[in-house]
Amino acid sequence: MRRHLLGWRIALRLARRDLLKHRARAIIALVMVTLPVLAVVTADILIQTADVSPTEGISRRLGAVATAEVQIFEGRQRVTQGPDPLRDWVAGDELSRATTFADVEGVIGHRSKLAAPTSSELVVRTPHGREAVAAEQADVTAPLARGFYRLDGGRWPAASDEVVVNQAMRDRGVGDTLTIVDRDGTESSRTIVGTIVDATRRSGEVVVGLPGTLPRLTDDGMGQGWLVDGPPLTWSQVQRLNDLGVLVTDRHIASHPDDYPDSMDDGSGDSTTLQVAALIVVMALIEVVLLAGPAFAVGARKQQRSLALLVASGGTPAQARRVILAGGLLLGVAAAVIGVAGGIGAAWLLQPVVQRFNASWLGPFDVPWPHLVAVAAFGLASAVIACVVPAWIASRQNVVAVLAGRRGDAKPTRAFPVLGVVLFGIGVLMAIAGASGRGDLMVAWSAVVCVLGMVLLVPVVVSWVARAAGRFPLPVRFAARDAVRHRTRTTPAVAAVAATVAGVVALGISTSSDEKQNRESYTPNLVMGDASVTPDYGYLDPRPDRPTDWDQVADVVREHAPAARVSPVVGVGQTSTTSWVNVVFADPARTAEDEQISPSSSSSALGTDVVVSDGAQLPSLVASYFSADEGVAETLSAGRAVVLTSDASQTRLDQVAIHVETSDDDGPTVSTPAVTVPATVLYRPDDDVAPLRAILPPSVARRAGVPAATVALDVAQPHLTTEAQKDLQAALQDLPTPAGVYVERGYQADAYTRIVQWVLAALGAILMLGGTLTAMFLALSDARPDLATLAAVGAAPRTRRRVAAAYTFVVSFVGAVLGMLVGFVPGLAVTWPLTAEGYSGSDHVGPYIEIPWLMIAVVVLGLPLLTAVVVGLFTRSRLPMVARVG
Amino acid sequence: MNAPETRPVLELAQVTRIHGAGGLAVHALREVSFETYAGELVAVMGPSGSGKSTLLTLAGGLDQPTSGRVLVEGTDLTAVGSAERAKLRRTSIGYVFQDFNLIPALTAGENVSLPLELDGVPTRAARAAASTALGELGIADLADRFPDEMSGGQQQRVAIARAVVGDRRLILADEPTGALDSVTGEDILRLLRARCDAGAAGVLVTHEPRHAAWADRVVFLRDGAVVDEAGEPMAAVRS
Ligand SMILES: Nc1ncnc2c1ncn2[C@@H]1O[C@H](COP(=O)(O)OP(=O)(O)OP(=O)(O)O)[C@@H](O)[C@H]1O
Ligand SMILES: [Mg+2]
Repeated sequence: MRRHLLGWRIALRLARRDLLKHRARAIIALVMVTLPVLAVVTADILIQTADVSPTEGISRRLGAVATAEVQIFEGRQRVTQGPDPLRDWVAGDELSRATTFADVEGVIGHRSKLAAPTSSELVVRTPHGREAVAAEQADVTAPLARGFYRLDGGRWPAASDEVVVNQAMRDRGVGDTLTIVDRDGTESSRTIVGTIVDATRRSGEVVVGLPGTLPRLTDDGMGQGWLVDGPPLTWSQVQRLNDLGVLVTDRHIASHPDDYPDSMDDGSGDSTTLQVAALIVVMALIEVVLLAGPAFAVGARKQQRSLALLVASGGTPAQARRVILAGGLLLGVAAAVIGVAGGIGAAWLLQPVVQRFNASWLGPFDVPWPHLVAVAAFGLASAVIACVVPAWIASRQNVVAVLAGRRGDAKPTRAFPVLGVVLFGIGVLMAIAGASGRGDLMVAWSAVVCVLGMVLLVPVVVSWVARAAGRFPLPVRFAARDAVRHRTRTTPAVAAVAATVAGVVALGISTSSDEKQNRESYTPNLVMGDASVTPDYGYLDPRPDRPTDWDQVADVVREHAPAARVSPVVGVGQTSTTSWVNVVFADPARTAEDEQISPSSSSSALGTDVVVSDGAQLPSLVASYFSADEGVAETLSAGRAVVLTSDASQTRLDQVAIHVETSDDDGPTVSTPAVTVPATVLYRPDDDVAPLRAILPPSVARRAGVPAATVALDVAQPHLTTEAQKDLQAALQDLPTPAGVYVERGYQADAYTRIVQWVLAALGAILMLGGTLTAMFLALSDARPDLATLAAVGAAPRTRRRVAAAYTFVVSFVGAVLGMLVGFVPGLAVTWPLTAEGYSGSDHVGPYIEIPWLMIAVVVLGLPLLTAVVVGLFTRSRLPMVARVG
Repeated sequence: MNAPETRPVLELAQVTRIHGAGGLAVHALREVSFETYAGELVAVMGPSGSGKSTLLTLAGGLDQPTSGRVLVEGTDLTAVGSAERAKLRRTSIGYVFQDFNLIPALTAGENVSLPLELDGVPTRAARAAASTALGELGIADLADRFPDEMSGGQQQRVAIARAVVGDRRLILADEPTGALDSVTGEDILRLLRARCDAGAAGVLVTHEPRHAAWADRVVFLRDGAVVDEAGEPMAAVRS
C-alpha cells in the first residue's frame, strides 16, 4: 500500500514538473477540459436559477406570510390531491351538500383568513384601442397578502376606484387613469395610484385592484381560495379537507413533494430521464476526451525518453503509465476547480442577460452543489480518460529503441480496426432496431457505439490518406505523412472533429426532418403574408345587435396597413347570433337520399365556407387554392356554381340542388325549397383541407335564396409586424362592432427549436475549430526539427504556412467526412421514431426525411477549407533554423 | 587486485540476439560469452554496429536474448519475468548512457534517488542516499539543479551517481564520454574506475582505445562476435 502511494508520488512529481515546463501544451489540454466544465456549470446554474422550484414557487402563490391556501372546489365533489394541487388533483364522488368555511374550520381550527388574490382577464382601453390584460384582485395591504406584490412607486389602492399596475402596463401608455371595459362594453375609469412588481409576471401587463372592484371576464371555475395563517397543516388534515371537496396548498407540504404520496403515480418517466442524462454524459465525455486527447498524446510522446530512463532505472511499465495518468489527474483537478469557479462567476454575470429574455421573474441565484460536484468529477474523469490510451502506449514502448534515439512505438494492433468495424456494425444494427420500433433512445445509443467504432477506424483511414497523398505537393504530403507518424496525436484530433460533425449531421437531419413534418402537416389559413379580418366580439356581452360596419373596419385596417389591398369577402353570413345558416348541396336526382355534396373537411378563415363571387375578384386564398386548369373564374363568370366534393363520382354532375337550412339550438327550423342550378363539381381527396365548400355566382345565390353579405375583409399583403398586429387588434376591438385580425405567417418554427439549432451549430463549429487548431499547433511544434531540416535544404519560408494549412485541412476534412458518414446512421434512423407516426387519423405516414445538404456542405467542406485558409494566412512563416533536440 | 570472486557479478553465456527474421534477420550478437567480477572494469570495443549497445541492453535486462543466458549476481535474467528484471535494475544494475541520461523534470538529487524511490524506499532515506552518492562523486552542491542547468560532464557525473546509488554492483556504461571533451571524459572514467575499485563491476562500451586503458580487460566485438579478449591492455597508459 505504502509502496503504491510512493509510486504515485514520483509520478505526480514528474507530471507536475512536466506540465510546468511545457506550459503551452498544458494550457491547451487544460482549456479543452475546463471549457466544457465551465459551460455546463454556467448553464446548470442559470437553468436552476430560472427554474422556480416548488419551495421558491410557493412564496409566489402564498405570499410571504400565509401557512396555506384552502380552496373549496365549486364542483361540490370530493377531491384527491398530491402534495401540490397545482400539479395534480382529481375530483371524485359528489358531496351531499356544499362545504362551507365553517366546515374547513372544523378541521383546521379557527384561524385568520384572507381571500386569496383572484386572477382573470380584463379589457382595458389604451391609446391603441382595447386590449385584454391580466387582472388580480386582492386586499393588498392585509398582513396575509404580504409578498404577492412589491410596491415600486406610489401607494397601494385604498378605494374601489383605485388600482396599481406593473411597468409593462404603464408601457402601453395608459398614463394615470385606467379605462376599464366591462362585459357589456360600458367603460369606467380607475385612478392608477402606484406601480407594482408582480411576483411572477415580468413582461405581461398586470392590473391589481381591491376585491370586487374589477370585472372578472374569465373564471377558472375553481372557487374562491382562502389564505390562512397558523401552524402548518398535517397530511391527515389535508386528506380530511379533500373529503370535504377542499384543495389545500400547504407551504411545507407543497415544497416537500417527495415526502408525500401523489394522487396518481407516475414513476415511468424516471428511467427515461436517467437514460437521457447518461447518454448526454457519455457523449460529452467522448467529445471532451477526444478534444483533450491530442495534447495528452503529445505530452506522453515528449516524455518518452524520461519514461525510458525511468524503466532503465528499474521502473515498471505500471510506474511509467502512472506518470502519464498523473498528468491527467493534475490537469483534471485544475480543470474541475477552475471550471466550477469560473462557471459560477460566469452564471452570476449572465444572470441579468437571461432575465431580459424571460417573461417571468427568475428565482433566486441557485448554486446546485451536488450537480457541480458531478460536473467537476466529469472534468476530472475526462482528463484521466484522455490519458489512458497515451499512458498505455507509453508503457508499451520499446525502451531500447527510445534510448537509442529512435521512435519506440509498439506496432499498432491489428485487432483495433477489426473491433472498430464490429462496433460500427453493431451501431448500425442498433440504429435499425431503433428505427423499427425500439425508439429514439436506442438510436441515440447507436450513435455512441458508431462513434466509438469510428474512433478505432480513424488510424486506418488516416494511413490510407497518407498513402494517397504521395501524388500531392510537398506540404500536403508532409502533412499527411506527419499525421500518420504521430498517430496518437492525429487520431483523437480527427476523431474529435468526426464526433462533432457526426453529432451536427445527426441532429441536423433529425431537426430538419422534424421540421419538415411540422411544415408539411401545417395547413395555412390564408396565403402567406395575407390577413383576414372577421367579426370578433371578445368578452362583449350582450353582443351588438347590428351587422358589422365593414366600411368602418376597412378604414381602421387601411389606417394601420396603408399598403394593403383590402377587399370584402362576400359569402353566406350568419344573420343572427342565436341561429345559424347552412347551405346544403345535393345531387338533384337523389335529394331524397340526404346525400350531400361536400369536401371531407373545410376551414373558414375567410369567415364563411360558401363564398359568393362572380369570379372577377376572388379572395387571394380562394384564387390560389384552385389550379388554373380548373377554370374557376370562367365557370363563375358563366353563371355556374363551383362545388367541392370528396366523392369522385359526383364530378360527373353538371347541376346541383341547393337549399338553405336555418337552425337554432333545438335543430333545423326553416328549410327553403331546393333549387337546381348549373354547377361544376370538383373532386378533393380526403386529406385535403379546403378553405371553403362552394363558390356561388351572385345570380345563383339570389336564385337559391342564399343570404349573401360581406363576412370578412381579405387584406392582401398588409406587411404587419406582430407589434403592429397587436395595435391593429386593439383598434378593431375598440369599434362599436368589434373585429379581430388574423395574419398568416406560415409555419412558425418553434423559437425554442430554432435557438437550440443555432446553439448546436455554433457549438459544433467551435468544437471543430478547437479540435483542429489545437492539433495543428501541436503538430507545428512537433514538426520543428523536420521544418528545420526543410529549411536547411532550402525550403522557402512559406513552406511552414503551407504545411500548417495542409495539416489543418487533412485533420478537419478527414474528420468531417468520417463524421458525416457516421452521423447519417443515427440521423436517418431517428426520423422513424420522430416523424413516422402522424397524428391519429392522418393518412400520411412518414417518415419525413430531409437532409440539410447546405449545412452538411458547410460543415464538411466549407469549415475545413476556411480553417485551412485562415491558418495558411496567419501562421508565422519563419522556419526554425536550428533543430531543437529533446 | 583482480582477486576474482567465486561468482561473477555479470555472466553472459552463449548469448545470441537476432533482430527480425528470415532474409532480413540481423545477428546483433552471436554466441557471446564473458564474465565480469566485482572490482573489475571491462571495456567493450568494436566498430559501429558490432553489437556493443545490444550487449549492454541484454546485460541490463532491457532486452532479451534470442538464445543463451544472462546472469546478474546469480539471477538468470532470461528465466525471470519483467517485473523481476525491473527490480534488479532498481537494486543491482546501474546504467550510464552517452547523453540525455537524466530526466529533465527532476533535479540532480531526485534523479539519483529515483531508483530507490521506485523501489519503495521512503523519500527522506532515498534523498539521504542520493546526497551521499553525489558527495562521493564530489558534486553534492549540484543536488538541487535541473539537468538543463548543468554541463554535460556534470550530468554524466550525476548519471554515475544514479548508477551506483543504493550499493548497486553492476555499472553498464554505453560510451559515457562520447559527448564530452577529452579532459572531462577522463574525469568521468576516473570516477568509473574508482567505483569499480570500491567493489562494483563495470562494463564500459567505448570507441576510444585511450579510454579502454582504464579497463582491466577489453572485449573486442566484430559483427556481433567476440574476436579478442585482452587482459590488462596497455597498462602503462594508466597512471
Ligand atoms: N531494433 C533493431 N532492429 C533491427 N536491427 C537492429 C535493432 N537494433 C540493433 N540492430 C542492429 O544490430 C546491430 C548491433 O547494433 P548495436 O546498436 O548494438 O551496435 P553498436 O555496436 O552499439 O554500434 P554503435 O557503435 O554505432 O553504437 C546493428 O547492425 C544494428 O543495425
Ligand atoms: Mg551503440
